Amino acid sequence: MHAIAKIIAKHAGRDHVEVGEIVNVIPDFVMLNDRGAARAADLLKQMGGEKVFNPSQVVVVFDHHYPPIRQQDSVSQKKTREWIKQQGITKFHAGEGIGHVIFPENGYAFPGALIFGTDSHTVTNSALGCVATGMGHSDIASYLALGYNWLRVPEVIRFVLNGELKPGVCAKDIVLRIAQLYGEDAAPYLGVEFSGPLVDHMPMDERLVLCNMVIDFGAKTGYIQPDEITARWMAWRAPDLKWSAETTDSDADCGRIVELDVSDIEPLVAIPHDLSDVRNARDLSDVRIDEAIFGTCTGGRIEDFRIAAIIMKGKKLAPHTRMMVNPGSREVYQLAIKEGLIDILVEAGATIGVPGCGPCSGCHQGMLAPAENAITNASRNFKGRFGSPEANAYVASSATVAASAIAGRIVSPVKMLVQ
Amino acid sequence: MHIKGRAWTFGRNVNTDLIYPKTWFRPTYEPGEMASHLMVGVDEDFPNKVKRGDVIVGGQNFGCGSSREEAAAAMKEAGIGAVVAPSFGRLFLRNCINVGMPVVTSPGIDAEVTAGDQIEIDLANGKIRNLRSGYEARLPPMAPESLQLIMDGGIANYTRRVLNERRLANKNAQG
Repeated sequence: MHAIAKIIAKHAGRDHVEVGEIVNVIPDFVMLNDRGAARAADLLKQMGGEKVFNPSQVVVVFDHHYPPIRQQDSVSQKKTREWIKQQGITKFHAGEGIGHVIFPENGYAFPGALIFGTDSHTVTNSALGCVATGMGHSDIASYLALGYNWLRVPEVIRFVLNGELKPGVCAKDIVLRIAQLYGEDAAPYLGVEFSGPLVDHMPMDERLVLCNMVIDFGAKTGYIQPDEITARWMAWRAPDLKWSAETTDSDADCGRIVELDVSDIEPLVAIPHDLSDVRNARDLSDVRIDEAIFGTCTGGRIEDFRIAAIIMKGKKLAPHTRMMVNPGSREVYQLAIKEGLIDILVEAGATIGVPGCGPCSGCHQGMLAPAENAITNASRNFKGRFGSPEANAYVASSATVAASAIAGRIVSPVKMLVQ
Repeated sequence: MHIKGRAWTFGRNVNTDLIYPKTWFRPTYEPGEMASHLMVGVDEDFPNKVKRGDVIVGGQNFGCGSSREEAAAAMKEAGIGAVVAPSFGRLFLRNCINVGMPVVTSPGIDAEVTAGDQIEIDLANGKIRNLRSGYEARLPPMAPESLQLIMDGGIANYTRRVLNERRLANKNAQG
């Protein structure tokens, strides 16, 4: 069995499961974001459920609409606060950042775990060597009522990443390369495992980027085999937690193995409105940038701020360009302050927002006007995602976004990093 | 389960941001509210044009992207007979099953249907037909558990049933 199948089997109380089989599983943690909590509480009631089956496994995070900018969200968050109190849910994080950033920070994600969440980017957690997947509100409401969910055991595709990355090229460029080569449906319904010499040395922040975006080529979960880097992360994040990783029996447990040489990848950009329409950043210099959107569950971690600060130090945003920055979490925010990174970004002219989803939630500060162009280190360039459906979103790495914000047009970050 | 209806066609990689844009997210919904925003990211007038029983035919990877259940729930609420595509985004597929919205995988179907065609689907026997062109194909088998959830009207009905069984068992144990 693949480790992903073993994790599912363990949570189904079984020794063995077959690929394609549907089993009922009990997850370790379930994340409800602000929208998810409000909808799931409503649906739980409609399903005739009064009590949450296992409140200690439920984590509620306000990240999409926090602090609320519409009264309907203030009202909804008030109701949710009352609801979690009444249900005995104590794991509650409001304004502390994005669920997918604070889950690994708080040790909610750990090797061998099974995690569900009311958001597609729940897959991010799978970088820790767990199975993590998004679900709809009725799905989660049913879990709240019964304490389990149905899950189909996925086939696994393994990407073996070989070679060294060029300077200025990041994990984000690798996933854009995969989307370019294999399309937005490179891995429908599949588990996606990343391995190989490059991954062996990749820091956790970058691993989280790889797994964050597997949903954007169709996958159910990511997976990275836990190793020394994972163990060090867990010792730091959850020193008292006992966890045990699963291992894959043989290569034959992967449906497909794809070898990918990363050494020729350049800084890449997905152009509107298709994530698989990917070009070299240096070939897009005629694209004017009105707004740089920096943060999200894809690009809001400390490594993203570090590379942006190297590029932006002592420089100013182009006069026609604005930059909206939302740290992925409160912890990232504080660390970026301590390291002087926030100062560098503010000096350059960036606007710092609250830790959370920012404009990627589709209704927070930094919405785009018609015909405006944005470059973002978020995951998606969907039409209308950041405001007007007539605006254009370009998706790139944190380095490319920072460099383009300074240049006022899309540029490769390589020259600015070398200087 | 037998479905027959007029087809509306959409392209490849139609994401859930287009099927149900975030602008229309609400913490709670009035009856009919979700249906009134169905597909407006692609065609603003769609909610006025679509009729109950119509069939949506999409291209490959239909419903990719975000987990929003509204994309599936709005189709169910609008009375869409079935949503058919060569492949689906997994969250959309799952949400359709959970809200009891017939979701039908049919390889190559997007090349065989034009808008306005009459489509006939026999879910139990795994068949799809285009009544205008005479095209007919077998459907890849669907997991019996998923088909059952759709026929039972979705996960809400399933959950109600299990909760009732548990209450009854508790009562019996106490009595």
